[in-house]
Amino acid sequence: MNRSTLLRGLGLAVLLAVAVATPFLLDPRGYAIRVVCLALLFAAMAQCWNIVAGLANQVSLGHAAFFGIGAYTSTLLLIHFGLSPWLGMLVGAVLGGIAAFLISLPTMRLKGHYFALATLAFGEVMRVIANSWSGLTGGPVGISVPFAPPSFAMMQFKETRPYYWLMLAALVVVTLVFVAIRRSKLGYRLRAIKENADAAEVIGVDTTRTKITAAVISGMLTACLGTLYAQFQFFFDPDTVFGVASISVRMAMIAIVGGIGTAAGPILGAFFVIPLEEFANDLFSSRAAGLSQLVFGVLLIGVILIEPRGFMALGSRIRRLFGKGGRP
Amino acid sequence: MTSDVPLLSIADLHAGYDGVDVLHAVSLSMAAGEFVCVIGANTAGKSTLLRTVSGLVSARGSIRFEGQELVGRPAHRIPGLGIAHVPEGRHVFPDMSVDENVMLGAFSVRDAADLGRRREHVLEMFPRLRERLGQAAGTLSGGEQQMVAIGRALMLAPRLLLLDEPSHGLAPKVVDELHDTFLAISRSGTGILLVEQNTALALSVASRGYVLESGRIVLEGTSAELSGNDAVRSAYLGL
Repeated sequence: MNRSTLLRGLGLAVLLAVAVATPFLLDPRGYAIRVVCLALLFAAMAQCWNIVAGLANQVSLGHAAFFGIGAYTSTLLLIHFGLSPWLGMLVGAVLGGIAAFLISLPTMRLKGHYFALATLAFGEVMRVIANSWSGLTGGPVGISVPFAPPSFAMMQFKETRPYYWLMLAALVVVTLVFVAIRRSKLGYRLRAIKENADAAEVIGVDTTRTKITAAVISGMLTACLGTLYAQFQFFFDPDTVFGVASISVRMAMIAIVGGIGTAAGPILGAFFVIPLEEFANDLFSSRAAGLSQLVFGVLLIGVILIEPRGFMALGSRIRRLFGKGGRP
Repeated sequence: MTSDVPLLSIADLHAGYDGVDVLHAVSLSMAAGEFVCVIGANTAGKSTLLRTVSGLVSARGSIRFEGQELVGRPAHRIPGLGIAHVPEGRHVFPDMSVDENVMLGAFSVRDAADLGRRREHVLEMFPRLRERLGQAAGTLSGGEQQMVAIGRALMLAPRLLLLDEPSHGLAPKVVDELHDTFLAISRSGTGILLVEQNTALALSVASRGYVLESGRIVLEGTSAELSGNDAVRSAYLGL
């Protein structure tokens, strides 16, 4: 192991230690820790999205479908069968993977806007189904996670701190999966497809199968995060968990703002977007509700115009500006 | 394998895009290890012909490789049979290093020792790539990118190499180098089907050629015959 990888590993270890210790600095029943929890969760969600969009350049706007499937699956199994959300999460992951496979079959041959629109429609169909199938989902009224005595087994806690560590663990796991995929043969196939689909085919990459594999992994992980969200919020409705703006677009935006295709990008993006959103909501909600959405639109357009590779690219820009780092 | 089975045998091939045929009743045949070129003007259908062999364009008719029918096979199944394609415009993976590009050419090869040997063979053929193994392929010169693309194809140890306009956009000096490279590949026993607008180059390296005009084969012969043909001389060699 050389010096720079050692330093890097050390830096990551320190960062992780700080992240694990952070809840002790925050009011355990306060508002700030809940915002940080959401930022961690959304960072993990954007990382899932990053597997398909960042590595293969297939920009999905329908990831809410998998998220909602996860949230509803574990919650309904808990309500009707008393099943632990941990097991419900696994069932949700399987269903999320199946959904990703089914939607991928017809859409993975599509590229660019066509793929984005097809996946957008898929997410919306899931939202409409959840709204209309009141017998199963409770419809637009929403659904509550039944309270149980707080325990790890039931994924319910009195304080916010355990949720924080849960979200942190989820983010670490999903990020490790992303990094492992990027370094694997699958990762090379995905990057080959992203950079040049025809050249990938003629060297023997089964482009459709590769993209479907990535989509299924991404869909399964996203569904797991849906369960975490349900257990954290205790109440949700179809428009929240299957929402285009609330979930699908936000996942994409966070990854794009932070740096699409990089491991750190979704984390940077989430810790910028989620607190900013809370702050903007707080600032504008009494005077001009909805203005925060406008702020986001402007922000996204700004980032894409100024630096389409997100915050991650800004870092190297700054280094170059000061003549340090020496990387071209 | 018996030598009387042709390496590649195309018969009555029709192919095109969105229902419009670009190739009309094309027939072509080449023996194992043979170096054959297809010449013709821009838009004659030369690239489409190679893309059809590679499975990137859907076709009617027959394409047999060592007796096996290729029409109807998905593109990603073709390289495993022993056919490597160097697409037009080089098409390296720009953000990947030279080494990653080259190694990607062989990711269907399981044997690690075999892989190392092939990589060494490619780097011997293109010593300049050895100096730039860690560099992003997109930052190389046009000629070097072409070497990467050819090197990537050679990693398959193909019995048939499809070369699509390899000289396009390259400086004359680089084209001369390529000329020697093609002859070296051919000497090693690899069959080459070369598609070129640079007719002089094509006829100087290939032993036989076909002339493609508006999607039809209008002429075929040895390179010497074609070089001496008045129509070819005036239309393609500018003599």
